Amino acid sequence: MATEAEATASVVGKSVMVVGIDDSEHSFYALQWTLLHFFSPAAGSSSPFKLVVVSAKPTPTSVIGLAGPGAADVLPFVESDLRKISLRVIEKAKEICTSHSVADVEFEVVEGDARNVLCEAVEKHHAEILVVGSHGYGAIKRTVLGSVSDYCAHHAHCTVMIVKKPKPKH
Amino acid sequence: MEETKEPVATEGREKMTVLVAVDESEGSLYALSWALDNLFVAAVGGAPNKPQPLGRLVLVHAQQPLQQFIMHPIGPAVYATSSVIDSVKKAQEQNSRDVIERAKGICRRRLVEAEAVVVAGDPKETICQAAEQMQTDLLVVGSRGLSKIRRAILGSVSDYCAHHANCPVLIVKPPKTSH
Repeated sequence: MATEAEATASVVGKSVMVVGIDDSEHSFYALQWTLLHFFSPAAGSSSPFKLVVVSAKPTPTSVIGLAGPGAADVLPFVESDLRKISLRVIEKAKEICTSHSVADVEFEVVEGDARNVLCEAVEKHHAEILVVGSHGYGAIKRTVLGSVSDYCAHHAHCTVMIVKKPKPKH
Repeated sequence: MEETKEPVATEGREKMTVLVAVDESEGSLYALSWALDNLFVAAVGGAPNKPQPLGRLVLVHAQQPLQQFIMHPIGPAVYATSSVIDSVKKAQEQNSRDVIERAKGICRRRLVEAEAVVVAGDPKETICQAAEQMQTDLLVVGSRGLSKIRRAILGSVSDYCAHHANCPVLIVKPPKTSH
């Protein structure tokens, strides 16, 4: 199905839009926002973009961090946990897409650090645009925790759209 | 309030207010062209019988504050006479007009209508403020593609907007010339 989708994409000349999602509300909001504004059902099947939804699954070793005693035993549990989470994420993304009546979507789960996964996905699909949510961290949290949206905004080779959830208090 | 949070698609595509930040740089004009091609033309060009615009396009140009040009203590007191201030102001206004004209020309060539707004002040803050005031759905900025260090020293409008704007931000990179 992947080759078929790619063939149709190149024939129709659709630009590819990659949406990065993870297990957070912010990224699902980003997906919904994107579907709403770019893939309206009334436009029919003539949406100018082909959607690829990419979820990054962190490697178990990165989650466990420095190996302590018994890290090897924990590994399989962490692995299955991560796999469950990423499946759930993709399921939810599928639901969101079908509720917006968008059928022409590819879903991918790639293992690795979210930053690299998204930038590589952009390269692989020759995407025109990468959409990411934003956790809305402040400056300090951003430096400490790191920001995927920041990294992608600087390093992706295509246009980047950062969708934020509007602040509740206004 | 419910309209901005979870808009219900009543008539086809949701009408977006898109704010594009323009200045003299090639990057921002490329960003404008990219936005027009991918966000606006795609909607209209496909079926000419249903000319449904994607939404409102607003061009925003930030005019640098005047102080920058006057605060140069060269030698003994240099007085900024009123004529100097006037001529600098005029030059700035002409500059802004040129930028807006160029941007509007790009829009016109693609048969897209655009409004233009000139705001005065520090570009980073004023663009974000303008986005908030106009309740934009999407803010489009170009990017000079600066490296990390330069970004920290020179400052980056796209960086600031990405962090501080209240609405989604689209950062358009210049096309890669050498791959």
